[in-house]
Amino acid sequence: MIGLVVTVMVVLLLLGFPMLVPLVAAALVLLFTEYGFLSPAMLVQQMVGGVKPAVLTAVPLFIFAADLMIRGHTAQRLLDLVESLVGHLRGGLPITTALSCTLFGAVSGSTQATVVAMGGPLRPKLLHAGYRDSFAMGLIINASDIALLIPPSIGMIIYGVVSGTSVGELFIAGIGPGLLILVLFSAYAWFHSWRMNIPVLPRADHTRRLRALRRAVLPLGFPVIIIGGIYSGIFSPTEAAAVSVMYALLLEVVVFRVLRLREIPSVALSTGLVTAVVFILVAGGTAFSWMIAFARIPDLLLGDFITLAADNHLLLLGLLAVAYFIGCMFVDPIVVILILTPIFAPVIKQSGIDPVLVGTLVTLQAAIGSATPPFGCDIFTAQAIFRRPYLEIIRGTPPFIAMLVFATVLLILFPPIALFLRDLAFR
Amino acid sequence: MKRLLRLFEGLDRGIGWGEAAVLSLSVMALALVSIANVIGRNLLDHSLAFTQEVNQSLMVLITFVGIGYGARRARHIRMSALHDQLRGRWRKALLVFTSVGTAALLFFLAWYAVEYVAQTRRIGSVTPALQIPLWAIYLWVPIGFTVGGIQYLLAALRNLTTPGAHLAFNCADEYENGGEGR
Repeated sequence: MIGLVVTVMVVLLLLGFPMLVPLVAAALVLLFTEYGFLSPAMLVQQMVGGVKPAVLTAVPLFIFAADLMIRGHTAQRLLDLVESLVGHLRGGLPITTALSCTLFGAVSGSTQATVVAMGGPLRPKLLHAGYRDSFAMGLIINASDIALLIPPSIGMIIYGVVSGTSVGELFIAGIGPGLLILVLFSAYAWFHSWRMNIPVLPRADHTRRLRALRRAVLPLGFPVIIIGGIYSGIFSPTEAAAVSVMYALLLEVVVFRVLRLREIPSVALSTGLVTAVVFILVAGGTAFSWMIAFARIPDLLLGDFITLAADNHLLLLGLLAVAYFIGCMFVDPIVVILILTPIFAPVIKQSGIDPVLVGTLVTLQAAIGSATPPFGCDIFTAQAIFRRPYLEIIRGTPPFIAMLVFATVLLILFPPIALFLRDLAFR
Repeated sequence: MKRLLRLFEGLDRGIGWGEAAVLSLSVMALALVSIANVIGRNLLDHSLAFTQEVNQSLMVLITFVGIGYGARRARHIRMSALHDQLRGRWRKALLVFTSVGTAALLFFLAWYAVEYVAQTRRIGSVTPALQIPLWAIYLWVPIGFTVGGIQYLLAALRNLTTPGAHLAFNCADEYENGGEGR
C-alpha cells in the first residue's frame, strides 16, 4: 500500500504535473484501495478546512506588504544604508549583500522575493568591484536564505500550521540561526576578498551616512513592528502582518509617494496569485496528511525507528535535517514541509524534542535546499532575473552550502542558538 | 477551427478578467478587514467580531479561484525537470498529457465539491457573526475546480492546434527554443 502511494506520487511529480495533483492523487489512491467506504468529498472538506486556520491570513498579508515595498523604495533605502555603513570594510560589498538580505528578510518572508529585490541592484555592483560572477550569484541566492529564517517567514507559518506549533515562537527562534549564517557569510566574504585581492572601497563620509540613515529610518520601522511587536507580545503574527501592510501603504503611498493608489489593485493581484499557488498546495497537503494519518502510515513507515529515535535526539534531529534537505533539493520547500511534517509528527511528539527547535531546523533545511542544485527554486529565480545559464549560477554555491550545513550542525549541537531568544520572550 | 479558437480566446479572456478581479479585490479586502481589526483591538479596545469568518471566506475564495488563474498564468508550482529535457513534439505531448490529466482530476474534485456543498446546505450551517450560509461561500470551491479544469483543457487544446509548446492557453513556453542553459 505504501509502495503504491509513493510510486503514484513520485511518477506524477516527475512527469511535471502541478504539485496539487500528486498530493491529491496519492490521497485518492489510498482512499479507493483501503477505505472504499469514505467519500472523496471528505478530501474536499479537508482541503477547504486546510486554508482556514487564522494564522494563514498572515501569508497573503506579508506577501502583500513585501510586494508593495518592492514596487516602492524601501528595499533600495535599506540597501543604501547598509552599504554606507559597512561598504568600506574588506569584503564590504559581499557583507553589504548578506546584511541587506538579512534586513530585507525582516521585511519579506520569502527567499525568492529577496533574490529579486536584492540581487537586481547588488550583482552589478559586485561585478564592478571585481568579484567573480559565480561568487556574486552564489552569494545572492544563498544570502537570500537568511530571509526565510528572519521573521516573517512563510515557511515557518506553513510549518506552524501543519504541525500545530506556535508561529510567534517559531518566528523569534529563527532570528538566532539567521544571524549565525550572516556572521559565517560575512567572515567568508572577508576571506574571499582578501584572497582575491579585491581593493577596499572608500569609507562613506558622515554626511552620506547620515543621509542614508535618515532615508532608511522609516523602512527600518518594519523589523521594529514585526519582530518587536511579536517579541513583546503586542501583536500576534497575523496582526503584525496586517500592521506591516498598513505601514507599507503609508510609506510608499503617503510618505514617499512612489506608489499611486490606482496601482494598488495590480499589486494585490500579484499577491493574490502568489498566495493562491501556495494555498492550493496547503489545501492539497492537508487532505494528504489527513489521509495518511487516517491510514496510520507514519507508524507503518517508521515503525521501530520511532522507539529508537525517541531516545536518541541527535540521531532524530540529524535524520530530520537530512530528510528535509534532500527533499528541498528536488521539490519546492512548501511541498516538502507539507508532505514530511505529518510523517515525522508522531516521532517528534514521542521524543519530546521542542517542536520549535524542529521547526527552526526544518526551515533552515528548506532554506538551504531552495538554493541547492539540482532543483532549488532560488536557482530558477536567479536564472530568470540574471538571465545567466544554470551551470554558471550554481558554480559558486558549494562554499555557501558548506557553511549552511555547518550552521545546521551547530544548531543541532547547540539548540540555544534558536531557543535562547524564544525562551527570553515566551518563557 | 480558427473561429472556434477565437471563441475560446474570448472565453479565456473573460474568465481571466473575472478571476483577476476576484483575486485582487479579495486581497485588498483581507488587508482592510485585518487592519481595521488591529486598529479596533489595540486602539479602541474593540475587535471586529466578523474578522475571522470574513478572512476565512476570503482565503477560500483566493485559494480556489486562484486555481484557474494560476493555471492561466502557468504559475502553479511543479517540477519541470523532465519537461526541460524534452524538445519539440515530445515536450508538446507531455504538456498535453499533464494538462488533460490535471483537468480530469480537477473535474473529479469539482464533482465531489458539489456533493460537499450540498451536504453543507442540508445541515444549514451559517457563520457565527454575520449569519452567512456556509454553502454560499463553499460554492466557490466547485466553481474554482471547474474553471481550473477548463483552463487546463484549453492549454491542451492550444498545444494540439497551434505550433510550439504552450504552458497555458495564452502562455507560450519561453524556453522552447533552447533557452540559455536549459
